[in-house]
Amino acid sequence: MLPKIEYSCPQTLEELFEILEKYKEQAKVLAGGTDLLVSLRDRIEKARHIVDIKKIKELEKLEYREGEGLVIGATVTLRKILESRVVKERYPVLWEAVRTIGDMILKNRATLVGNICNASPAADSAPALLILEAKVRILSREGFREVPIENFFTGVKKTILKPWEIVKEVFVPEPPRNHFGRYLKMMRVMSEDLSVVGVAGLGYREGGDVKIRLAYSSVAPTPLRIREAEEAFLKPGTIEEKIERAVQIAAEKVSPISDVRGSAEYRLHLVKVLTRRLLKQIVEVV
Amino acid sequence: MKYVGKSIQRIDAFEKVTGSAEYAGDIELPGMLYTKLLLSPYAHAKIKSIDFSDALKVPGVITIAIGEDFPFRIGLYVNDRNILARKKVRWVGEPVAAVVAENLEAAEEAIELIKVDYEPLPPVLDVRDALKPDAPLVHEELGEYAHSPAFNPIPGTNIANRFVVKKGNVEEGFKKSDVIVENEFLMPQVSHVPMEPHTCIGQYMKDGSIKIWTSAQSPFAIRYILGYSLGVPLHKISVYVPYVGGGFGGKAGINFEPLVVLLSKKAGYRPVKLELTREEQFMVAPVRQGFYGKIKTGVTRDGKIMAEKILYVFDAGAYADYGVNIGRAAGYSCTGPYYVPNLEGESLTVYTNHPWGTAFRGFGHFEFLWAIERQMEIVAAEIGMDPIEFRLKNALLPGLTTPTGEKLREDAGRIDQCIKAVAEKIGWGTPPVKITPNKIRAKGIAALWKAPAMPPNAASSAIIKLNEDGTFLLSVGVTEIGQGTVTALAQIVAEELSVPVEKIKVVPFRHTDLTPYSWQTVASRNLFMEGRAVIRAARDVKEQILEVASQVLRVPKDDLEIEDEKVYVKGRPEWSLQLKDIAAGYVYPNGNTIGGPIIGRGYYVGSRLTYLDPETGQGYPALKWTFGAQAVEIELDTETGEIKILKLVSAFDVGKAINPMLVEGQIVGGCVQSISLGMWEEYKYDKNGRMINPNLTDYKIARAGDIPEEHIVVIIENPQKDGPYGARGVGELSMLSVPPAIANAIFHATGVNINNLPLSFENIWKALKEKR
Repeated sequence: MLPKIEYSCPQTLEELFEILEKYKEQAKVLAGGTDLLVSLRDRIEKARHIVDIKKIKELEKLEYREGEGLVIGATVTLRKILESRVVKERYPVLWEAVRTIGDMILKNRATLVGNICNASPAADSAPALLILEAKVRILSREGFREVPIENFFTGVKKTILKPWEIVKEVFVPEPPRNHFGRYLKMMRVMSEDLSVVGVAGLGYREGGDVKIRLAYSSVAPTPLRIREAEEAFLKPGTIEEKIERAVQIAAEKVSPISDVRGSAEYRLHLVKVLTRRLLKQIVEVV
Repeated sequence: MKYVGKSIQRIDAFEKVTGSAEYAGDIELPGMLYTKLLLSPYAHAKIKSIDFSDALKVPGVITIAIGEDFPFRIGLYVNDRNILARKKVRWVGEPVAAVVAENLEAAEEAIELIKVDYEPLPPVLDVRDALKPDAPLVHEELGEYAHSPAFNPIPGTNIANRFVVKKGNVEEGFKKSDVIVENEFLMPQVSHVPMEPHTCIGQYMKDGSIKIWTSAQSPFAIRYILGYSLGVPLHKISVYVPYVGGGFGGKAGINFEPLVVLLSKKAGYRPVKLELTREEQFMVAPVRQGFYGKIKTGVTRDGKIMAEKILYVFDAGAYADYGVNIGRAAGYSCTGPYYVPNLEGESLTVYTNHPWGTAFRGFGHFEFLWAIERQMEIVAAEIGMDPIEFRLKNALLPGLTTPTGEKLREDAGRIDQCIKAVAEKIGWGTPPVKITPNKIRAKGIAALWKAPAMPPNAASSAIIKLNEDGTFLLSVGVTEIGQGTVTALAQIVAEELSVPVEKIKVVPFRHTDLTPYSWQTVASRNLFMEGRAVIRAARDVKEQILEVASQVLRVPKDDLEIEDEKVYVKGRPEWSLQLKDIAAGYVYPNGNTIGGPIIGRGYYVGSRLTYLDPETGQGYPALKWTFGAQAVEIELDTETGEIKILKLVSAFDVGKAINPMLVEGQIVGGCVQSISLGMWEEYKYDKNGRMINPNLTDYKIARAGDIPEEHIVVIIENPQKDGPYGARGVGELSMLSVPPAIANAIFHATGVNINNLPLSFENIWKALKEKR
């Protein structure tokens, strides 16, 4: 059962920041609540006060501007993102990643911003956002800052966010022209599951060269982009050699653990298999 | 036939789909209190002291109980269970104390304030270790426990029951064998994961009577065990069971009902409700036992099984009050549906410091069939014979004897027809196909059998009442746990009395004060046994109707017929009476009345069943045997271990499908559960025996997206003459033997034998890697 907690539901950002300032570490922001309520119930998170941000209009934005990019507000649900044609067409890797998060019941409540703020190493949207070079827009009474998502995660369930700050939205810039991107996720079942290992990758051509981006879930304390593996494609060699080099580097850079969902050994093996499969698909298309 | 054999919609569909069906959790009583349990953090530890003085001070707390408050044991077959842990704890999750409060919040707050001083003891966390001579004892007082004479506990060990079956001469049999194959098999503990967690309310009345409202499969077993344990006469105990949101065996026998009743007494005779959360359901509620098997099979080159030596060991966990019967059931069916002339089988039920095991759909059989059906595949490969041909060559056909020496009756089902049916539909005989460098498609097959695991005197009964308007009320003791039996029973009444199903109400709850007796809702016994009782009750009603009608219509009874809600003279339909006109006595124009309210009754017990010989296991344990077979086509990713079931075929000889749609529903549902148990489900423990996946995030069960796209169901109908319209049970059977079919397919795809469940992707990958 949930411990006794105060609850408020501010209508404006001003009210929200007032509450956050008052309670500091004791307050937790609730959007979908699908992670927060479970953590509170299991006493993993402790809080005196829950601030529900669902009524704040400024956080509802899901907007795409040609030539600029996509804005996903803090209260935009995964369901909304899945239903967006522009996300499906322009950001297929993000769409595919969102599709694998939980079931439809969960998607009706859970938010993408919540998925990254929860900062689970298994966050499925994170690898996609990493390779799309998304920016996290953070707001507090003191002002606004924009941080590359690569700098946002600091550890298991930890981010750079201060207790008095919120993530207002995520900005996803226009992806490279004619890119091809996919998220491969290994689950324990066929239906719905957390990732045992997830790999997001995209590729595009610049000049005559193939450029690659790669990021992972569930292989390190944070979702992880592995630029060294991407750089394998900048060096000379056949495509097959480049792929194998990237696979080897990725396997060296990850640090998977053994837990109830899989052994470190299996995860390391999956990193190699999924990376190789993904890169083969990418180079075939681009 | 007009009603039997028709796929009518289940009679409880509307209530369930609209959410108006009543479940135990819906019941709120005036003055009701709520209880929360404090669970043991140790697998095995002495309880040195319990201090709940602070907890009692929490506003709203009425009382707190600990084990010493209830100094007696309960159980279905063996009285080994405490109400709350006494002197020591035996698994991580065993209830140590119960707080009763005005509301759950107060109870939860108080639970955290109870201080228990434990002295950890060495735990037994592997069933094979539990059998070692120096193993710590889970039950030091085993010799003092009362138990049913059918069981054989061995005091001074962890063996709660030893079952032995002996037939022919095993040594001779092995001598005559050309090839001897021996293998070991393992299976973890699993949860029933009912959609509705265990829920019950108990009230001890001031006059000493007891009322229970519970989500249970077996109201009469609860009443009997409670009366026996507490020394309360049965007429003073009433047990009420509404619809049950899934049982799968976990709600059979007796569970938390004695606890809430005794808490009610301690809390001043107010009703007390216990409703487990999902996490508690995993930690506190009973589970399916774990399993270890070792099988040695001797065969001739031409594929005849000559001898088998079998050891089954069941990890019963902390208590085995119901669990002892699981090892017994596996013991008397131990060969699977094959004729083995020389047999030595031993089936042990063994205590460990794991969660306590209980009945689970198809108990004993799901476990040993995993071992036997893998073994059959391995043996066939050893002698280079097609596994279908090998199975058919040894098929247990009518006239041959089972492990207990029972000659299979001539109208028993046909295992050979089941095997042939699935082989044909899966397209048996084509080699595995490599569709990409790392993806292989292959087929696998496995057979199955089961008889109800029940004592020879298990009984069923039924009451049918004719209402004043000509409608009928059927009352039976079988609980509706999702299986649909009551719909089939209504169809039987409709057929017998020639009345539309819509005019028959099956009473949607069980109340031991009103409902006719049924031993338990378990074992795939109820369609068969309640079915026979219902037929007799209907014929009793008919007899009573004819008795009155023959006077009114002035013809002998055997000249009368009942049809379309009328009783009429054969060949003279114009001389008739409406049923409603005699429902409560026939009234003549002048007011004279004959007859009276019509109430039919019927009962059924199995014919000529016996206890089994304690030395040899020989005898007649089986009400009926149901046979079946499963076949799968899988696609295996040899790099990741992932498998996808492309196609599943199931065939069962059900004797007669009273409602084919419901039979198919049972088979589809059972197979999904079978896939789920075979591929994913598993209690995972840390090194101290604590379950590390007590939630649906990490205890994976099949969901809609995991169901095979193609599932062909073959219903075979070789009627059994003493079954209702020839029917046999199929409820549990449907969830047997899918896992060995999958593992056999993996074997054909790769040559790798996997003998331990679950067949998780990672476990498959590991097995393939070890072979490389």
